[in-house]
Amino acid sequence: MSAILELSGVSKEFAANGRRTLAVDNVSFSVEKGECLAIVGESGSGKSTIANMILGIYGASAGAIAFAGEPLPERREKRHRRAIQLVQQNPLSSLNPRRTVGASLRLALDVHDIGPKAERAERIGALLQEVGLEPDYARRSPAALSGGQRQRVAIARALACESELVVLDEPTSALDVLVQARVLRLLAELKAKRGLTYVFITHDLSVVRNIADRVAVFERGRLIEIGTTEAVFSSPTHDYTRRLISAVPVVSDAEAEMRQNIMEMTHD
Amino acid sequence: MTAPTLKIENLKLGFKLWSGMIEVLHGISLHIGKGERVALVGESGSGKSVTARIVLGMLQEMSSARISGGLTFEGIDLDKLKPRDRHHLRGTRMSMIFQDPTSSLNPVYPIFTQFREVLARANPAISDAEARMKAITALADVSINEPERVLDSYAFQLSGGMNQRVMIAMALANNPSLLLADEPGTALDVTVQAQTLKLMSDLVEQHGTSVLFISHNLGVVREFADRVYVIYKGRIVEQGLTKQLFSNPQHPYTRALLAAVPRITGGGIPDIAEDTAGFHDPLIAHPGASEKELLS
Repeated sequence: MSAILELSGVSKEFAANGRRTLAVDNVSFSVEKGECLAIVGESGSGKSTIANMILGIYGASAGAIAFAGEPLPERREKRHRRAIQLVQQNPLSSLNPRRTVGASLRLALDVHDIGPKAERAERIGALLQEVGLEPDYARRSPAALSGGQRQRVAIARALACESELVVLDEPTSALDVLVQARVLRLLAELKAKRGLTYVFITHDLSVVRNIADRVAVFERGRLIEIGTTEAVFSSPTHDYTRRLISAVPVVSDAEAEMRQNIMEMTHD
Repeated sequence: MTAPTLKIENLKLGFKLWSGMIEVLHGISLHIGKGERVALVGESGSGKSVTARIVLGMLQEMSSARISGGLTFEGIDLDKLKPRDRHHLRGTRMSMIFQDPTSSLNPVYPIFTQFREVLARANPAISDAEARMKAITALADVSINEPERVLDSYAFQLSGGMNQRVMIAMALANNPSLLLADEPGTALDVTVQAQTLKLMSDLVEQHGTSVLFISHNLGVVREFADRVYVIYKGRIVEQGLTKQLFSNPQHPYTRALLAAVPRITGGGIPDIAEDTAGFHDPLIAHPGASEKELLS
C-alpha cells in the first residue's frame, strides 16, 4: 500500500456576494501510486475544485492533502509543482499562442532545470516523439496544429518535468471521437511506460469505464461512492450513480441492456 | 405521396477567400419526411452546421458563400421565394435550436420579452396578455414548474438545462413543421441531456414536427433519430434507418466512427488505425433507405 496522494477531511468554501457555497464537503480519499482514479460527477459537483486544490491553485478551507507521505503546504514548493502536473480540457487556451511548441516545452524544462542545458533541444524532440508527433513540430505554433495534436503537446508539457502525478481535467472532451480514442490510448501507454499516476476528471462515463482503475463519484461537493471501476459499473450502490450510468447515450444493444438493468436497480 | 418537409438536392457550398475557393459541401442530398426525425452525424468541420444554416437561409447572406443545389420546403422551391417570404418562414414554419442555450438567449431582456417576439412573428397583433398565456402553456409543456417566474427571469438567472427548455419551448411555440436542432444537448450534463432529449422527442411527436437533428454524438443520435445520414468532409457517406446503420454499419468511415466510441460495458480503449483510405469511398445506402427508394 503506497498512497501517492491522500486527501483527509478536505472542504472548500467560497464566499461571494455575501453568500457562502460549500463546493467541496469533507472529502477523504487516496490515490495509489500507478493507478488511474477517475473523478466523475455533473457540473457543480466539485470535480474541478478538487483538482485545483490538488494542484495548489488554492488551498482547502479545512482538511489536509498529503503527497508521497508528507503534507502539502498551502504555498507549494517547486518540487511539488514539478511532481504534480495538469492537462486541461482546451489546449487552445492552455498553450501560449505566442510560443512555439518547442518554446512551451523548453520553458517547463528550464523552470525545473531538467537535464543538462545542452541536451534540452534533443529532449524536446524525444518528448514530442513520445506523444506521437514528429520532432520538427517544435518549430510550429499551437495555431498551426489540430485539436488532437495540441492536446498531445499539452500532454508532452505535463510530462516534460518528469511529473509523477498528472491531473487530467476533461482531457478529451473537446476532441472528435476518432481523435479521442487515439489520445486516450496514448495516455494509457504513457502511464504504463512511465509509471504515472492519473487523477482523471470527466463527466464521460464511457471513457471512465475503459481507462480508470477506480472511480470516485461526486454529487454537490460530496464523495458519495468510490470503488473499483468494475464494482461501480456492475453494482453501483448509490442511486445517483445509477442515474448517471443510465443517462449515458450508448451505441449498441448490449450497452442499452446493461443500462436498463442498472436503471431497474434504482429505488425511486 | 405527399411532399417531404425538406428536400435537399446536390447541395454544394464553397467559400471564396483571398487565397481561392474552399469547397465545404460537395453535393449532398437528403430529405426529411413529414414527422420524421432525421439525424445528420459527423465530426467537427464535416459540414453539418452549415447545412442547417443554408436551410434557414442564413448562409446565403454571406457574400463569400457560393451555394448551389436544390432546396425544397413542403414542395416550395426556397430559392424562388422572395427574400421577404423566406424571412417570414423563419421562426414560424421552420425554427432552430442551438447548442449553447445560454448564449442564444439575449442576456439584457427577460425571457418573456424574447418569447413575445417569437410569438409576434406568427401573429404581429398579439396582445401582451395573450402572449403571456401562450408562453406559460408552452413552458409548462417543457415541464417547467414555475413558468411565471421563468418568464420574468433573465437567461443568466436560469440553469443551462432550464435555458435549453426555454429554447425548445420558443422553437415550438409557433408550431413549425421543421425543427433544426444543432447539437441541442451537447452543452448539458448527461442526466439533463437525457431529460431534454426525451422531452423534445415527446413534443415533436405530439406536434408531428419534422426534425433535422445535427450531432457528433452517435449515442444521442441512436436514441433520438428514426433515420441517419453520416457526413464526412462535405459528403454523405452512409444513410439508413437508425437500426440498420447502428447494427450493421457498412462504410469504412461509419465503422471507424462507431468503433472509436468507448463502450460503457468495457472492452478497453478502441485501437483506431491511422488509415483513412476508405473514408472517401462512395455513398452506401442501406436497403430501402436510399433517396431514390424513399422519394419514389
